[in-house]
Amino acid sequence: MKWLLKVIDAVRPNFEEGGKLRLLNPVFEALEHVFFAPGTTTLEAPHVRDPIDLKRFMSMAIISVVPTVLAAFYFFGLRFVAMIIVSYAAGLTVEALFAIVRKEGINEGFFVTGILFPLILPPSMPLWMVALGVAFGVFIGKELFGGTGRNVFNPALVGRCFLSLAYPKTMAKSWVEPSDYLAGALTDWVGPSLDAVSGATPLALAKQGEMGAVSHLFLGSVPGSAGETSAVLILLGGVFLLFTRVASWRTVVSILGSFIVLTGALVAGGAVSYPMAGVFGPVMWHVFAGGLLFGVFFMATDPVTSPTTNAGKWLYGIVIGSTTVLIRNFTGYVEGVTFAILLGNIVAPIFDEIVIGIRIRRLRSEG
Amino acid sequence: MKFESFSGEAKKVKFRGGYNILLKGKPEGAVKVMPEPKVLYLPLRSERFTFSEVLVKDGDRVNGGDALARDPDNHDVPLLTPRAGTVRLKALENHIVLEDVAHRDEHADIAEEEMSHIAQEMGAGGIKRYKLLSLGAWQFFYDAFTGALPDPLGTPQAIIISTLSLEPFVTRGDVLLHKRLLNFTRGLEHLQSLLEYQPIYLAMPDVSSEFANLVRNQIRGYAWAKMLEVPLTYPYDNFAILARRLELRRDKGPIWGVRTEGVLAVDRALTMTKPCTVRIVSVGGMGVNGPAHLKVVPGYPIERIREKYVFEPAARVINGGVLTGRAFTAEDVGIDAECRGITVLPELREREFLGFIRPGWSRSSYSDCFLSSMRKRFAERLTTGMRGEERPCVACNFCEEVCPAGIMPYLVHKYLYADLIEEAEQARVDLCVECGLCSYVCPSKIDVRKQLIEAKVLIEKEKEEIRQEQLRQEEARKQAEEKTE
Repeated sequence: MKWLLKVIDAVRPNFEEGGKLRLLNPVFEALEHVFFAPGTTTLEAPHVRDPIDLKRFMSMAIISVVPTVLAAFYFFGLRFVAMIIVSYAAGLTVEALFAIVRKEGINEGFFVTGILFPLILPPSMPLWMVALGVAFGVFIGKELFGGTGRNVFNPALVGRCFLSLAYPKTMAKSWVEPSDYLAGALTDWVGPSLDAVSGATPLALAKQGEMGAVSHLFLGSVPGSAGETSAVLILLGGVFLLFTRVASWRTVVSILGSFIVLTGALVAGGAVSYPMAGVFGPVMWHVFAGGLLFGVFFMATDPVTSPTTNAGKWLYGIVIGSTTVLIRNFTGYVEGVTFAILLGNIVAPIFDEIVIGIRIRRLRSEG
Repeated sequence: MKFESFSGEAKKVKFRGGYNILLKGKPEGAVKVMPEPKVLYLPLRSERFTFSEVLVKDGDRVNGGDALARDPDNHDVPLLTPRAGTVRLKALENHIVLEDVAHRDEHADIAEEEMSHIAQEMGAGGIKRYKLLSLGAWQFFYDAFTGALPDPLGTPQAIIISTLSLEPFVTRGDVLLHKRLLNFTRGLEHLQSLLEYQPIYLAMPDVSSEFANLVRNQIRGYAWAKMLEVPLTYPYDNFAILARRLELRRDKGPIWGVRTEGVLAVDRALTMTKPCTVRIVSVGGMGVNGPAHLKVVPGYPIERIREKYVFEPAARVINGGVLTGRAFTAEDVGIDAECRGITVLPELREREFLGFIRPGWSRSSYSDCFLSSMRKRFAERLTTGMRGEERPCVACNFCEEVCPAGIMPYLVHKYLYADLIEEAEQARVDLCVECGLCSYVCPSKIDVRKQLIEAKVLIEKEKEEIRQEQLRQEEARKQAEEKTE
């Protein structure tokens, strides 16, 4: 690959200080560093560094959603490719503009947002809305706070939240009937729209007193956001993410734990009733339904917007888990994961503050 | 614990954080003797000392063991010449050059008058301390909390002796101790004689090893020595970490930290009354031909070692270990009096193609983001490469996990970014031991260690300013009082 490096070295002067295209330096640098690791060296102790960098760190998140991306193709059609491309193009434009203005590098964090965003949208969402949503999410949710590492909210969720509040009718119309052929919807551009009268997502149906089989939820052959339907594939990617330690197991365990305990308590105590018998059945149904698992593994575990301290992560998970239960059961909304995680994002810095305060008080008496 | 029969109980301690960086080029146990040099270049500066007070004149003939200079800011610790030769003061900046070097019997540069004076004033203890200082053994002593040279006349609340050297690569304790067990235990006894009832903690990697048993047999019956098992994880051998884990408090008086070479130097100075001028220095790292331990004297030309051991044409030669050492520059010509090891790292030359999506089977990482996390840990060929771009902190918490001091490096980084010095002080950056692990593991390639050190310096400066201000006010008040009187 020497020739490529030569090409890069040859065009570099154009992008450096004094070059014609110097404004585009962040874009050039980002492209260059995709192909070749930077040639910078350490200046002082420690003289060696760990191979982990943010590119690798974020790649793990992208790899972990590959199964759900494939599931989206399978269940809802190849149009999802267009959604991914639009999401990346629009988001990257905003990201690049800010990088140019700030004269900083383009941050890898966006590449995760860019793939997560279409996964949490209804599969036949108009493409211009995909573009608008991701641009809004990146601009309001991240760049205004100072870019990657300084954002309070998960940008993808901010984008989705915006779309669902601004275009509720379009959102509701964009659900797609999942394919039940063996070849899936891989031969289709987009699957048939849900029947406006009888069709709805499992959680919406449950509000009307109709609960589908858990097995469908587990495999993913139910209507829903593009990437959230197949529990088994989400678990596959989620476990990978836990294994790489990019996602914190504490967050995952505390959200799922509090969700299961609270739902179980409500069902057992008779505060809510479902057509399904027993306690275990409805609880498992709720764990697999909707966007809970996707949100738990891929959204709530974002290291930037979740608390840094381990104790903070436990509290954060409990807030998200129990808020989801409350929204799903006691409000007009059928799904509460988006709002629950955004609420968690709000309280995360507060939890960190409390935990750090306690730790600093303990440190005071040290040595 | 089970090995308590000989001397008090062995303390059980818990450590936190820490991480071993496995690096290729580990020095072998054998000690090789370097050929005698013809010219020595004795640096007037080392990590802790600045020998600003030169005691010899240009052209002087000196003998091995003579004091060439001393550091007035560090209890007059002397720079001893290891060999006989002719002094050249102006030949090289910041160095004393010794020409026509000859290896003759060294002698102790001690004035008899002074000795009898000290004996009258302070008794036998005073003589021992005087000998330690003037024979070059004292420079192996560290204040456990600050790392500075302790006051030779002070009495510590405890002495911590560590036979471990966990940073890659510095001289290993087991290499130094080879066949010198008797010297070591004799050194321990000498150290004890400097104390009244204060304990000596002996930190060892394995308290049930053969070596530990030998030591235990030697010091059986000495109630003042307590053995301490320390896991072989960097940087648990750090004196400040050990002191904190032993729950020794800074406000209860100084703690002396002594490594293996220090105990052996004490034995040499007090048993044989001979100057301690020979050092065993490790030469390790990826750019080294046959990594080993070398027997050298301070002032030994670095170039000679380079010629013989460093084969990489573009290599960074580091004075000390890879995590805390300082790269030798063109101005460093001779081995300094405090050198504990030489680590050679190849400079980064080739940029890797599509590096971040490779599986990473042969890449050892603290994170579990590489395929190598599925295999046993292994030593890697590391270069000076940064291996990534600098990015904002993403709060991954790695730095806190590895921090052996129990502070939150990312928090201090954020406070510094926001210029919140007082908060950084509250977050106890003063507990930082500068081990460098936070910088090493950071995925955003932030130089956290440097920032922590900067924060410490800033806080010290501010405290000093406040102190000065208080003094000024005090003085002004006194003057005002005098006037009214």
